[in-house]
Amino acid sequence: MSSLEIKNLHVSIGEKEIVKGFTLTINSGEVHAIMGPNGTGKSTLSKAIAGHPDYKITQGEVLVDGKSILELEADERARAGIFLAFQYPSEITGVSIANFLRAALQARLAEGEELDASAYYKRLYDKMDRLKIDRKFTSRAVNEGFSGGEKKRCEILQMAMLEPKFALMDETDSGLDIDALRIVAEGVNAMRGPNLGVLLITHYQRLLDYIVPDHVHVMYDGQIVKSGDKSLALELEAKGYDWVKKEFATASAR
Amino acid sequence: MSAPTSAPRSLTGSFPAEAFAQHLTSLAGAPAWWLDRQRAAYETYAGLPMPRRTDESWRFSNVVGLSLDGFTANPAASPTALTSPFGTPHLAFLNNTVVNRNAVPAELVRQGVVVTTLVEAAAQHPELLRAHFMAQPQKLGSGKFAALHSAFVGAGAFVYVPRGVEVKEPILITHAAAGAGSAVFPHTLVVLEENARATVVDHFVSADDAAHFACGANDLYAGHGSQLTYIGAQDWSRTSRSFQFNSTVVRRDARVQSLNLHLGGRQARHESLSQLQAPGAFSEMLALTVADDTQEFDQRTLQIHQAPNTKSDLLYKNALRDQSKTIFSGLIVVDPDAQKTDAYQSNRNLMLSDDAEASSLPGLEIQANDVRCTHGATTSRIDPEQEFYLQARGISKAAADELLTFGFFEEVLNRLESDPLHDVLRTLIQSQFKK
Amino acid sequence: MKPSPDTLPADEATAVENPVSGIDQSSGNFRYEMDYAFDAGTGLTENTVRYISEVKKEASWLLDFRLNALKTFHSKPLPTHWATKDLENINFDKIRYYLSQGLKPKRTWEEVPDDIKKTFERLGIPEQERKFLAGVEAQFDSEAAYSNIKEIVSKQGVIFVNSTEGLREHPELFRKFFGKVIPTGDNKFSALNSAVFSGGSFIYVPPGVKVAQPLQAYFRINAENFGQFERTLIIADEGSEVTYMEGCTAPKFSTSTLHSAVVELVALKGAKIQYITVQNWSSNVFNLVTKRGVAHEMAEIKWIDCNIGSRLTMKYPGVVLKGRKARGEVISIALANDGQHQDTGAKMIHQADETTSNIVAKSISVGQGRSTYRGQVHIPKHLKGCKNNTECDALLINTNSRTDTYPAITVKGDRNAVQHEASVSKVNEEMIFYMQQRGLTEGQAMSLAVNGFINDLARQFPMEYSVELKRLIDLEMEGSVG
Repeated sequence: MSSLEIKNLHVSIGEKEIVKGFTLTINSGEVHAIMGPNGTGKSTLSKAIAGHPDYKITQGEVLVDGKSILELEADERARAGIFLAFQYPSEITGVSIANFLRAALQARLAEGEELDASAYYKRLYDKMDRLKIDRKFTSRAVNEGFSGGEKKRCEILQMAMLEPKFALMDETDSGLDIDALRIVAEGVNAMRGPNLGVLLITHYQRLLDYIVPDHVHVMYDGQIVKSGDKSLALELEAKGYDWVKKEFATASAR
Repeated sequence: MSAPTSAPRSLTGSFPAEAFAQHLTSLAGAPAWWLDRQRAAYETYAGLPMPRRTDESWRFSNVVGLSLDGFTANPAASPTALTSPFGTPHLAFLNNTVVNRNAVPAELVRQGVVVTTLVEAAAQHPELLRAHFMAQPQKLGSGKFAALHSAFVGAGAFVYVPRGVEVKEPILITHAAAGAGSAVFPHTLVVLEENARATVVDHFVSADDAAHFACGANDLYAGHGSQLTYIGAQDWSRTSRSFQFNSTVVRRDARVQSLNLHLGGRQARHESLSQLQAPGAFSEMLALTVADDTQEFDQRTLQIHQAPNTKSDLLYKNALRDQSKTIFSGLIVVDPDAQKTDAYQSNRNLMLSDDAEASSLPGLEIQANDVRCTHGATTSRIDPEQEFYLQARGISKAAADELLTFGFFEEVLNRLESDPLHDVLRTLIQSQFKK
Repeated sequence: MKPSPDTLPADEATAVENPVSGIDQSSGNFRYEMDYAFDAGTGLTENTVRYISEVKKEASWLLDFRLNALKTFHSKPLPTHWATKDLENINFDKIRYYLSQGLKPKRTWEEVPDDIKKTFERLGIPEQERKFLAGVEAQFDSEAAYSNIKEIVSKQGVIFVNSTEGLREHPELFRKFFGKVIPTGDNKFSALNSAVFSGGSFIYVPPGVKVAQPLQAYFRINAENFGQFERTLIIADEGSEVTYMEGCTAPKFSTSTLHSAVVELVALKGAKIQYITVQNWSSNVFNLVTKRGVAHEMAEIKWIDCNIGSRLTMKYPGVVLKGRKARGEVISIALANDGQHQDTGAKMIHQADETTSNIVAKSISVGQGRSTYRGQVHIPKHLKGCKNNTECDALLINTNSRTDTYPAITVKGDRNAVQHEASVSKVNEEMIFYMQQRGLTEGQAMSLAVNGFINDLARQFPMEYSVELKRLIDLEMEGSVG
C-alpha cells in the first residue's frame, strides 16, 4: 500500500504561477480523475510532479510513501514509482522501443545485475499483444512516425512494462478515436488493482465512461475547486465548465 | 619524359617534379594513356595555387592548416599485419603497395566478377579501365588535391561486376598508411554493368599513430538498373590529413547507396559528387561523423540532376565533441528540363560540447519547376524534451544522453540493409566514445 | 507615396528612347522632366564628392568621411566571387551621382510645387491618400521635396527629417550612430553610398515614445543614368517603438541605373523598430542596398522586405543581436520576372545570450526570372540560449524558372539551437483546375495561387500595402501562363 501526497503545491513556468495551492492524496488502488477547462494547470501539475526542469515548484510538497521526491531528478522520481503518460510523447530518433524499454528496466536493477533478455522479450511481446501493438514495432524508433493512437498505446505499453506505483495520465484520451480509446482504457483497467494509483487528467467526460474513477476533482485556476464521485463528471458534462467558472468567481468574490 | 621543373616549391611542397618522376618509374608497366593522364594531372597540380580563405568552396575551412610540406611522396612499404573489423580484405594496400589479397569465390570469377589492382586491370581490361579511370570531373573545389591524387595514384582497386551478376558478400578493400609523413593515394574504382548488384567497402586506416597524408578517390559507376552499396570508413590516425574525392555516376533506373563514416584525421575533407544521368536514377548519400579533440571535418557535396525523373536523398549527421569543428556544404543542382526531380538534402549537427563549432551551407540551384526539392539543416544539443522523456522512464541523464547520441547515428545506420555492416559501423562509432 | 497598379510598367516596348518635356504619356512610364538645380554630372571622382559636400554645405569631418569612403570604394573589388557577374555590367562612369532641385523641404501641401503634385497624379495616388501624405517624407531624386511631420509626432519629441537636415541640425546625435552599424568598408556599395549619399531619412524616437502612425517615405528614381544613394538612420531610444515604411516605384529607362542605399537602425534597450519596404523598380535598375540594425537588450528589430522588379536586387537585411534577449526578424518576399534577378536574404549575427532570430523568405520566379536566397546566421562562442529559425520557400511558375538557396549557418557550443528549412515547388495543378472549373481564367487562378503562397507574409504588411502587393502580383502574373 503506497500513497502519493500532493500538499499545497505551487508551480511556476518562468515568472508565471500556474498551479496555485493544489492538494490531493492518492492511495494505491484508487483512480482519481482531474477535470477542468484548458489552461487551468492540469498538465503543468503532472509535469511538475514528474520533475520537468522547466517547471519550478515554489511552494508545497510531493511525498511518495511519506518521503519527499522534490529533491530527486526526473529519472529518480520515475524509479521511485512515478509514471507520466505524456499528452504529447517525444519522438526519439534512432532509439528502438525494445532498446529503450530495456534501458529503462535495466536502470531499475541493482548495479551489476543484468536483465534477462529472453524473459524480457517474452513479457514485452505479451504486453504488446494485449495492447494490439504489432510486434514489429519493437524495432521501430520510439514514437517516431506513430499515429496519435499508436503513441498513446506505446505510452500504456511502457506503463505496463515499468509497473509504476502511480500513473499520471495526461490527457491520454486526446487525439484518440473510439477504438483506440477502448484499447487504451482496457490496458489501464487491466493494470488497476491494489498496487497502482492513478491520476487521470482529462478535459472530457468521455474517457471516464471507459475508466471509471473513484473520485472526480474539478481543477480551476491552479487548484481543486470541487470534488465528488463519478456523478460530478456527469454533472460537469451536463452543465459545462462555465458553471464551475461562475461558481468559482462567486466564491472568490466573497 | 620529365615533369615540369618550373613550378615553385611552394606550390608543390613534398611532391616536387623529382618525386613525380620517381613515381612514374614505379609504374613502368602502365599504358601510355595512363601515364599521359598522370603527367597532365601533375601539370595541373603544380600550376594551381593552394586554396585561399576567400574561395567560396573553402568557406569556413582552415585553409592555413593545408600544408603540402613534411610528407614522403613515395613511402616504402613494410609488410605489416593489418586486421579490419569488416573481415578479411580482398585487397589490402599499405603505403601504395598491395600487401595482401584474397580471391573472390571461384563462382563469381566464373561469372566474370573482377576484383583486382588498377595496374593489372590496365593490362587485362584496358578498355574498361580507360573508360572509367580518372574520367570524372572535379567540381567541389579541391582541384589541386584531386590533381595530386590523379598524378600519384598507382595502387588501387578495380571492382567490376558484369551484367546481371549479383555479388552477395561485401567486397572489402583496406587502404593503410604507415610511418611518419607517408603519403598515400588510395583509389577504388567500381563499375557495375546492367542490373548487377554489389556491396563494396573501403576501409581507410593507419597502421601507427604517425601523421600521414591521405589523398584518395573512389569512383562509382552504376550502369542501367544496377544496385550498388558503398561504405567508406575513414579511420586514419589523429594526426593525419585526409582528402577523399567521390564521384558517383548513376545511370537509368540504377540505385546507389553510399555511407561514409568519418572518424580519423586531424583535418579531413571529403567531397562527394552524385551525377544522376538518366531517368529512374537514385543516389542515396549518407554520412556520419564523430568529431572530437580538435578535429576538423569538411564535407562538400553536390547532387546533380541531369535527367528527368531522378532522385537523390542526402543525410549527413555530425556529432561534435571537445573543440572539434565540422563544415557541411551541399548543393542540389537541377538542370533545366530535369523535371520530376525528387531531391532531398539534410544536415544534422549534434553539439556535445560548448567549444565545438558546426557550419552548415545547404544550397539549392533549381532550373526546372516540376520538382520536389527540400533541404534542412539543424544544429542543436540533445533535445531536452527527449532527455526528459527518457528520464521520466527512470533512465539516468548520462544513460539517456548516450542512448540519444547513438540513436542519432542509428537513424542513418538503419538505412543499411546489411545487419553485419550495420553492427561493425556501430561498434566503430561506439569505440570513439569510449576513448 | 505608392503607385497605383494601373500606372505600373506593363509593357517594355513602350519605353521611350528620348524623353520629351513634360509628362510622358506612354502607359506605365513615370518619368517626367524636372529642372535640376544642381547636378554633379556623370562619373565619380574626388571632385564629384567635393561638389556634393559643397552644395550641401557640409562640415569638414563629413567631407573627409566621404573622401575616405571613395578610396575604399575604389579599392574594393566587386564581390563576383560569390555574387552574379552581372555586377560587372554596371558602368560607374555613366552614372550621375548627385542632382537636386535645390528646394527646401516643404511643410504644407500648398507649398508643394505643382509639377511634383502632377507626379503624384501620374502615379495614380488617390485624393485621400495624397492627404495621407501629410505624414509622409517623400524624396524626389536626391532631396526631400516634401516633408511634413504629423503634429502629434513632433509633439512627442520625435525627430523626422531628411538626412541632410539631420546632419545639420542634430550633428551630435547623428554622428554618434552614423556609419556605426554599417561601416563604410562593409562592402563596395556601402562605401559608394558613404561617398556620395544624399537624401534619406533621419529619425530619432525619444525614450518611451511609441509612434502610433507608421512614418513613411517615398523614393523614386527620375533621371536617366542617375543613381540614387539615400542614407537612412533610425534611432529608437530606450523603450520606444516606431514603424517606418518605404515604397519605391521607378520610371522605365533605356539605360541601366543604380540604386544603392544604406539604412542603419539602432534599437536601444527595450525598443522596437519595424522597417517595411515594398519596392517595384523598373527592370533596368541595379538595386544594391545595405540594411542592418543593431538590437540592444530586449530590443526588437523587424525587417519586412518585398522586392518586385529591378534587373538585379542584392539586399540582405540584417540584425546584430547585441543585447541579452534581443530579437531579430526578417520577412522577405521576392518576385523575379523575365530578365530579373532577386538576390535577397537575411543576416542574423548573434552577440548575446538568449537572443532569437527568425527568417521567413518566400520567392516566386516567373518566366526566366531568377530568385536567390542568401542568408547568414552566426552564433559565436560561449553564448547560450540563442535560437534561429529560417524558412525559405520558392515557387517556380514556368518550366525553366530558376531559384537558388545559399544559406550559411555557423553555431558554436551546445547551448544554442538553429533550424533551417527550404523547399521548392510549383503551383499545384489540381488547385488551378479546381479554380478554372469554378470559372476563373488560368491567369486569375494562377494569381490567386501565388497570392495564397505569400498570404501569411503579406498579412504582416499594413493594409494598404498588402492590397497593393496583391495588385502588383496580379499584374506580374499576367501573361505568365499559356
